Amino acid sequence: MSETSFPVNDLLRRKFQTTIVTASLTLCVASTLFLLLFTNRIGLSISLAIESRLTSGFSSVLSPFLIFLGILILIAGAVIISFLVHMMMFQRVRDIGLMKATGCPNDLIFGYFFTQLLIVTLVGCSLGTVFGILADLVSASILNSSGLQILQGPINFWFVLLVFVLFFILAMAFGIRPIIDATKVSPVKAISPTFYIGLGKQPGFKVISKSGFAAKVALRSLFRHKSATIRIILCLSAIFLLVTVSIAGGVIANQTTKSWVEKAIGRNIVLIGHQDVCNQYKLLMSKFYEVNDGSRFNYTDERYSIPKSLLSDLRATLGNVTIDTRLLLAASVREVQGHILEGDTGQIYAVGDNRTGESMVVGVQPEEVLSKWSLNGEALTQDNAYEAMIGDSLAQKMFSEPLIQGIKMFNGTFKVVGVCIDPINNGNVTYVPLKTLEDATGISGPNAVMIEVDPSVGRTQVLDQIRSVVSAANPDFQVFELDEMLDKSLGFLGYIWSTIMFLPIFSLATASLCLIGYVMLAIGEQQQELGVLRAVGAKPRTIVNIISSQSLVVLLSSYAVGVAFGIIITLLVLVEKPLVTSYTVLEVAGWLLIALAATFISSLYPAIRFARKPILEIISQP
Amino acid sequence: MEDPKNVVLTSLLCKTYELTDTEIEVLKDVNLEIEKGEFTTISGPSGSGKTTLLNIMSGIDKPSSGKIFVFGIELGTKDENFLASFRCSNIGFVFQSYNLVSTLTVAENVAFPMEWLRKTGDYIQERVGELLELVGLQQRREHFPFQLSGGEQQRVAFARALANDPPLLLVDEPTGNLDLKTSLKIIEILRTQKDNGKTVIVATHDSQIFHLASQKLVLENGNLRSQDE
Repeated sequence: MSETSFPVNDLLRRKFQTTIVTASLTLCVASTLFLLLFTNRIGLSISLAIESRLTSGFSSVLSPFLIFLGILILIAGAVIISFLVHMMMFQRVRDIGLMKATGCPNDLIFGYFFTQLLIVTLVGCSLGTVFGILADLVSASILNSSGLQILQGPINFWFVLLVFVLFFILAMAFGIRPIIDATKVSPVKAISPTFYIGLGKQPGFKVISKSGFAAKVALRSLFRHKSATIRIILCLSAIFLLVTVSIAGGVIANQTTKSWVEKAIGRNIVLIGHQDVCNQYKLLMSKFYEVNDGSRFNYTDERYSIPKSLLSDLRATLGNVTIDTRLLLAASVREVQGHILEGDTGQIYAVGDNRTGESMVVGVQPEEVLSKWSLNGEALTQDNAYEAMIGDSLAQKMFSEPLIQGIKMFNGTFKVVGVCIDPINNGNVTYVPLKTLEDATGISGPNAVMIEVDPSVGRTQVLDQIRSVVSAANPDFQVFELDEMLDKSLGFLGYIWSTIMFLPIFSLATASLCLIGYVMLAIGEQQQELGVLRAVGAKPRTIVNIISSQSLVVLLSSYAVGVAFGIIITLLVLVEKPLVTSYTVLEVAGWLLIALAATFISSLYPAIRFARKPILEIISQP
Repeated sequence: MEDPKNVVLTSLLCKTYELTDTEIEVLKDVNLEIEKGEFTTISGPSGSGKTTLLNIMSGIDKPSSGKIFVFGIELGTKDENFLASFRCSNIGFVFQSYNLVSTLTVAENVAFPMEWLRKTGDYIQERVGELLELVGLQQRREHFPFQLSGGEQQRVAFARALANDPPLLLVDEPTGNLDLKTSLKIIEILRTQKDNGKTVIVATHDSQIFHLASQKLVLENGNLRSQDE
């Protein structure tokens, strides 16, 4: 036996094991790299898509979500690759013991197996990298051709290199550990299953009952291979954590952000005003999902003022209905510093600066407002107070600690009591009490009116009534249904989240591939046992049942851990004030159950394939 | 269905293994009849096809051509599910390399063929006790195979093969790797099976086992002949 060719020849002669380990490693590196590249691609696509659109409140949900997913993917990939390589080298511990027993020096043994580890890791990581890049390019191309705007561009070579080096080092570090351990112990210990399987339990003999026979055989085997079982459960837990965060996070964030928009705009709301004001309002609302310039408009034109007679006519026609009157303006605003009293020292610190900017300013009657914003702080409460509620984008752009600061406009200083998420003018908006605004500006009366139409009482009829009242008051006035804008805004959010929801699908594919890899390795480890079971009378179906029961136990254990932590992370870390309705729970549960079923079904393939092999081939495999 | 008085009947049985660039003809037109209760030995040099013939008799392997009937059933035409059930109920196989399941204790290794047949717990407990007593390993029931010597593992393999009380026992080189004392114990077990009326086929070189045989066959270069010829 040539000393230099042994590692290569040994790998080539152990074709089955070498193939499954290299294939598993390749699959994991490829799927992890693909997910990272694809997340990056989706992140960049979304960044481009929302450039100058969405408000900062929405962006602050999207960005951490994608970054967190990227980190999770990297961690899950690292855990899986470490596990696979460790498991591969652990299977060789017995051979190391046998070589030691025949007198082979430790350094030579180390050299042989280190070379094997190096070859397998290098081949697996290299092939995985190539396949990962190809999968990313092909997926982006397919999604683009199917109408989704996924950014197409060159792969970041340094990023790919970084991932390759990281995975390669991890694989080597975890793979070398069993070799070092085995070369350190005595040959007798190294060839003993107590060492290489971790078999140590001395149970009392108990006959397996008739019911759930295959499951009980599977459990017995899992418990006796405890260390390997724990490792795979940890490994799959990391993947299910990733799947859960991407599914639950995606679904919950989607619904939460959609509810923000729906609450801020309102459903079944009609806007009444001069046609110019209505068009300008539409323009400001569309800034949420398309880039436009709606800043130049003279809101103070007297033609736009809503006559009091129109308001009383509307009340007379519609009866007891809330009429939300608004005065829309545009103004230069200035940040006003706030002050914090340091509890320990008694010193007072100034917070903020004197930044200036342009904002849409809306005067509202706090008691009559139809919008129900998602907000930090409080909503406006009094009609004559110098209080303001500012939009999230304005808060982020111009303020340090908005809730302890003020905002100056029209020579008056308003205390900021709340920060709301509002799509109008892309979150660059300030709400103040209508009366206070009228006093500060000298403008009398609103220039826009909003009414909620109850859909249960003949919507068309009510709309016709409103239209006739409005056109009688002023033919230039218009009734505009805001639902159209609401649906466009929701559609835009839906498009962004549907792009992100490709990640859970690919994460699921990764989970399936990893489980297939595990099942292949587990079969490789138990093939002699399973072969003997077949030889003594077990049917192929029984072998499939045993292997699938093992997969199911491992899968359910990791699923429970991964899903529990995934939900906690999603609710506590990723989405602030998440909206979780019974529908959300059902949707997330449905997706997660599909994920579980898909992963389990895909893991059956290697079991079925193995069970069909001739018994002699199984028993005689080296 | 062939004549059921023959437990094993082969007709022009051939087995060829195909390697990458060559074919090895292990069995050539083997014709064989083994009757119920007969104790048959098959001897021959290493690589002569003894193990292959036993594998085909047990349904673990299939012939390349020719026919094999065991208890009147042509095994070459049956699917894996049938063969598995058939083996479990009718054939006890003692492998040359013992083939014990390393993660099962001695008692569990003996019990699991009975568990396949869904025997009751009480029956299995009792039967495991009987069999371990037969092979003299009552004290080792909770040990794992790696904690046993080669001879002890061989005896566990015998106990497992007898678990379902099969009418046909196939034994591959049972004493090849054992010392004289342990070999005698194994031979004693074989004698008991013969006395119990089981059909026993043993691939062996051991002259002491030949003494038990009513039919002695020799395999040479894939050809089967009687030792008397």
